[in-house]
Amino acid sequence: MSLECGVFHTRYESDMGLRRWPAERIRLAVFAVFVLVFPFVAGPYWLDLANQVAIATVGAIGLNILVGYTGQISLGQGAFMAIGAYSAGLLTLNLGLPWGVSIALACVFTSVAGTFFGLPSLRLKGLYLAIATLAAQEIVEWAMTHWTAVTGGTEAIVLPAPSLFGVRLNTTFNFYWFGVAMAAGTALFAANLFRTRMGRAFVAVRDQDIAASVIGVNLFRTKLLAFATSSFFVGLAGAMIAYYRTIITWERFTLDTSIVYLAMIIVGGLGSIRGSFFGAALITLLPALITNAGRALQETAPMVAGLLPYAQQAVFGIVIILFLIFEPKGLSKLWGNVKDYFHVWPFAYRRG
Amino acid sequence: MTRRQNAGPIRLLAAALLLASAACGGDGGGDGAADADIKVGAIFDLTGPTADVGTDYADGMRGYADWMNLRGGIEGRPIDLIYQDYAYQVARAEQLYSQFVNEGVVVFMGWGTGDTEALRLRITEDEIPFSSASLSHVLGDPADSPYNFLVASSYTDQFRIALDWIARNHGEGTPVVALMHNASPFGLSPSRHGGVEFAAALGIDLTLYEMPRGAVDYTAEFSRIRQSGARYVVFQNTSGPAAVALQNARSLGVDATFICLNWCSNAQLVQLAGEAAEGVVGTIPYAPLSVDVPGTRVIREYLEAKGESIEGRTNAYTQAWWTFSIFAEAMKQVLASDQELTGANIKAALETFTDLDMGGVTVPITFTPTDHRGAKGLRIFRVEGGEWVPLTEFVQAPAAP
Repeated sequence: MSLECGVFHTRYESDMGLRRWPAERIRLAVFAVFVLVFPFVAGPYWLDLANQVAIATVGAIGLNILVGYTGQISLGQGAFMAIGAYSAGLLTLNLGLPWGVSIALACVFTSVAGTFFGLPSLRLKGLYLAIATLAAQEIVEWAMTHWTAVTGGTEAIVLPAPSLFGVRLNTTFNFYWFGVAMAAGTALFAANLFRTRMGRAFVAVRDQDIAASVIGVNLFRTKLLAFATSSFFVGLAGAMIAYYRTIITWERFTLDTSIVYLAMIIVGGLGSIRGSFFGAALITLLPALITNAGRALQETAPMVAGLLPYAQQAVFGIVIILFLIFEPKGLSKLWGNVKDYFHVWPFAYRRG
Repeated sequence: MTRRQNAGPIRLLAAALLLASAACGGDGGGDGAADADIKVGAIFDLTGPTADVGTDYADGMRGYADWMNLRGGIEGRPIDLIYQDYAYQVARAEQLYSQFVNEGVVVFMGWGTGDTEALRLRITEDEIPFSSASLSHVLGDPADSPYNFLVASSYTDQFRIALDWIARNHGEGTPVVALMHNASPFGLSPSRHGGVEFAAALGIDLTLYEMPRGAVDYTAEFSRIRQSGARYVVFQNTSGPAAVALQNARSLGVDATFICLNWCSNAQLVQLAGEAAEGVVGTIPYAPLSVDVPGTRVIREYLEAKGESIEGRTNAYTQAWWTFSIFAEAMKQVLASDQELTGANIKAALETFTDLDMGGVTVPITFTPTDHRGAKGLRIFRVEGGEWVPLTEFVQAPAAP
């Protein structure tokens, strides 16, 4: 808990607020203004990227609740997103439910499925749990492609375009608001979650599960709740993809997806909400930036540009390795460093 | 922590931000330039699971654009082929598609079945005529996919031609056929979109065998195939996995006729499978460069002029080249009739094509507003002495029963 010079909290409410310092509120306001203005100045391409970032943020926060905060490794992200996407789509197609209801039910359904696949976590830790969740991924992938009666097999499922009060939701501009609202809601929920008893229990389980159980944390309940909460948001991310693209294909939810999301939270910062956002943004934008760099080089240095597609494969790995070596706490910590640096800038004196 | 230690990551972040803003800036600057260019978008698989044939396909597309530009472009307007590798990932394909459309491409050259399916609704909304290397039968129905155009016989038609060929050459008894397919929509397309019904109508006993991605051994599949008494094995996969399976089958002594559909019937298969490829039959919609017709001569001349060898170039090259040419022809007609070069106009021009000459590499192309399956016939080839040699003249796909 850092202190800010000249700010004195005189009430418990202000002392316990999420944003306790004026600088934090100003930064939040600046970011909010940016988010509000962005869609009016950005073209459809950047808006599309922004929407992908919003969806990835929801998914990454969901995964971070499980991996970063509770310390339960999961390779089943793709599977849980698939469950969210498929159930959101199939509920509307088969039962005729409105898209909003379908998305809500899909989240609950994913939450239940996540809890089920989280059962091994009661006995398994670390690598063993990773393999157990990998099994979940494979089972769901197999079900998606082979359970033809329900999922339509490898064929894509086409959804009706979602609309809200007669406005079509899945255009890049309209979806942006939905995506931002969902991402902001998820972030707000998660930030508050870790100020509650249950959230603290998650963290206690991560830090030392035996010690946690000694001080009265019910490991069984806590671990399963972590899986349920995490899967809820992961399912939401999946359902958002389904209604943004209005087409569901299993190829979007493979093991690759699980690994990309793990990369997001590692690069962004394990156990950090803002880190989830940073990671989601970086991992989503990185391929686009490399693509643009490649195209800029296509005319000036065709030889280098020719190698870029292959470099792109390596960049993911390199980025993760570099972060693990130089900044294991991820972009979130880097941002913290920037803030610290400017804390009393331009005066060199620093506390601590 | 001292300040000195802190400065490193901050400099790194600053550098990253600078790089990012430079990339955005560069992107924005390119928009206004060279408005006379005709922008064509394309995604290629150069690094993904279908890169074995994808690389050659990409070269064919680039080759055609270059060849056309050397001849002055389309009605004097050069082609600006905007392309990127997408590693067979649906999400990457969507990202690139929206980027390229944002930059003003008027037609789009796609690749895989999964991404083509994922983009189907968006191209309709954006009115972007779309050619995919995916020849899924359903993509040729304008009622569902008005902007998708199939420029070669669909997988279903290819499969029907193969089954018809089997039925006619089989002789006594019920022909037992095994279809070994890629574990994807691409792999299942021929059987699911009419192939199964067609086999039943011909009295063929057809069983499907999935080839898991990345498998290096198909012994289990072949032992089941042997038990089923199948004398014919049809592959719906790319050349890499098919070659592995052929070598497997040879070492296991499987006595069957092997038939490759579109994406494994190419020079690469022969190169990879070697001796095991001998006698393999292939349904090849676009002739390999070794076949001497006007349509391959123009490619050979272009490659020779460039000082490149045709060695190792497969029929994927021909297919890419002539696919592009169909869209170029449509764009030429739009420009020649002084219309605006929009997706809708290009689509309308494509739909007027009747028996468009393809230089003998494939059957003449016909599109109508109700049928986007441009070609319904192909030649059957066979590997003889390490070369794909035509076994038949052009055969039309038999009608659905």
